[in-house]
Amino acid sequence: MKNRLKLLRVERNWTQAELGERLGVSRQAVIALEADKHDPSLDLAYRIAALFGRPVEEIFENPHG
Amino acid sequence: MAMLKFCPMTPADRRYVVRTMAFMGGYVAVNLAAIFGAFDSVIGTPAGWVLGLAVAAPIAGQIWATLRLMVESDEFVRMLTAKRFIAAAGLAMAAFSGWGFMETYGTAPHAPGWLVYGLFWGFYGLVSPFIRTSQ
Repeated sequence: MKNRLKLLRVERNWTQAELGERLGVSRQAVIALEADKHDPSLDLAYRIAALFGRPVEEIFENPHG
Repeated sequence: MAMLKFCPMTPADRRYVVRTMAFMGGYVAVNLAAIFGAFDSVIGTPAGWVLGLAVAAPIAGQIWATLRLMVESDEFVRMLTAKRFIAAAGLAMAAFSGWGFMETYGTAPHAPGWLVYGLFWGFYGLVSPFIRTSQ
């Protein structure tokens, strides 16, 4: 699922490890999310949205619409 | 290439390493003792069955450690490990069953059942570079 995660992270000068720590996931998971190699669960998608203070659909591209 | 970047061990990874070392330490110790004759008096007797189970117990423990890694890791690592585990188990079962049939119907030399454990981890290592996404 295409997303703006890397852009949002870089805007805040966070490393992948820092973002992982804030989300409660490994750096490996952040790398996979940014590289579009992992579609997050609904729970993780909402955690990401809450962290960046944006709606989920502003961060993740809806592949169905 | 992103997946090849260095990733420090998570607490779940560290627990997995400690558990694996503990179980494999037991596995190697019992096997070495058997190889060097510590259990010669029980081999071929009913007590040998207990010895066989004692060697197999760390294998069950190590599989448990891998399942715990899945439970304690984040969703990406869980999915990746599960995919690799299933692929490796499928290949090991197919390969070992195939060998068994070659023994039964052909002239393949006998392969002891305990080889399947090493075969499984061999396949796990083999499939891992090809299974790098959760999709």
